[in-house]
Amino acid sequence: MNKTLKEGIILVALFAATLFLMMQINWMQVLHIKSAANTTEKKLGELIWESVKRDNGEIDIEAVNTVIDSIISTICTANDIDASKIQWHVVENSQVNAFALPDGHLVLYSGLITSADNAEELTGVICHEIAHIQHDHVMQKLMKEIGFSVLLSMTTGNGGGEIIGGAVKTLSSSAFDRDNEKEADLSAVDYMQAAEIDCEPFAEFMYKIAKESGDYDKYLTWINSHPDSEDRAAYIVEYTLKTDVTSGKIISPLTWNKGKKALDKWSNYE
Amino acid sequence: MIAIKPFAYKPGEHESEKASNSYLMSLVALICGLPLPIVNLIASFIFYMGNRKSDYFVRWHCTQALLSQVSMLFVNSFGFWWTVAIFIGDDQISNDYVAYMITVLFFNLTEFIATIYTAIQTRKGIHVEWWFYSGITDQLCKPKS
Repeated sequence: MNKTLKEGIILVALFAATLFLMMQINWMQVLHIKSAANTTEKKLGELIWESVKRDNGEIDIEAVNTVIDSIISTICTANDIDASKIQWHVVENSQVNAFALPDGHLVLYSGLITSADNAEELTGVICHEIAHIQHDHVMQKLMKEIGFSVLLSMTTGNGGGEIIGGAVKTLSSSAFDRDNEKEADLSAVDYMQAAEIDCEPFAEFMYKIAKESGDYDKYLTWINSHPDSEDRAAYIVEYTLKTDVTSGKIISPLTWNKGKKALDKWSNYE
Repeated sequence: MIAIKPFAYKPGEHESEKASNSYLMSLVALICGLPLPIVNLIASFIFYMGNRKSDYFVRWHCTQALLSQVSMLFVNSFGFWWTVAIFIGDDQISNDYVAYMITVLFFNLTEFIATIYTAIQTRKGIHVEWWFYSGITDQLCKPKS
């Protein structure tokens, strides 16, 4: 029996050693799996963005674009993030909402910009969504909620409008899991701190949406997709206080007001 | 890993055929059972049950074929459910997953070749013992006194 036991141990060790050796090879690169996955994500991002654009309509106002572009460029530069990978879009929708899509698409509702009291509030929300993109939460969420096979069928042209609509709904109006939300919140604070931007308005924005009652409908989407805002505001403040407190502005108040006024004017005209 | 050894007696033509079939059964089931790893084990088990009262040579090889399937069941099942989790769950294809599947493929292929070789040899009445599995088979399968 001793001989058999030894042989058994050697067999298991042989399996483990083969597995260990195989794990040393970068199969994702050798088999081009990552690039295939990137192509899938790129296609998914385009499909979902097209659907959002069809339903809401994209806004292209120079003064607004300057505000968003400045915020994203400043944050990305300060945090070594490739700004060209963040494909931001402003769409016409009075709801207070922003969400990330696959392949770095970032959708901002016009309602979010008009509701923000200052550029730093908006920056907090943008940083939060950039963090979801950077931590790959978007694809993880889609895989979990919709499934890999369905996502793959969408990109090969077999996905109906219903599935794409489901993906849009998942990303725009339901929360990531609690850990992912916290990770995105704290990363957002880190991004703002690295860019020497005041984080307090970000926490204030969380308090604002948690306490908002008169305008509940308007804030409904953001509340649904970001529950427990009050708790989150509290830990954002707590985390901010642990790090260096800065009070810098992301853009000049003049640029911010110009962008906001242009958007208000455009909304009233529409 | 595989060794030809003398058996307790020289098996007859009928015994050699049956012993060889026990390996062929696991092979056919392996092909039909893909990707469900449990199928080949069930097939080998049914064949084993049908031959457990046969001659020593047949019983011995049915047992060895069955045991080899048991160990592969664990390895293959893990790979199978990992794949299911990727397709319908929230797992993603990773380097570890690909490495595991290649290892599993390598071991399955080795077992596949060994099974074909053993089936051919036992058909000729030659006794083939597998590393590790033959030891357990010797413990489980004794000649009728």
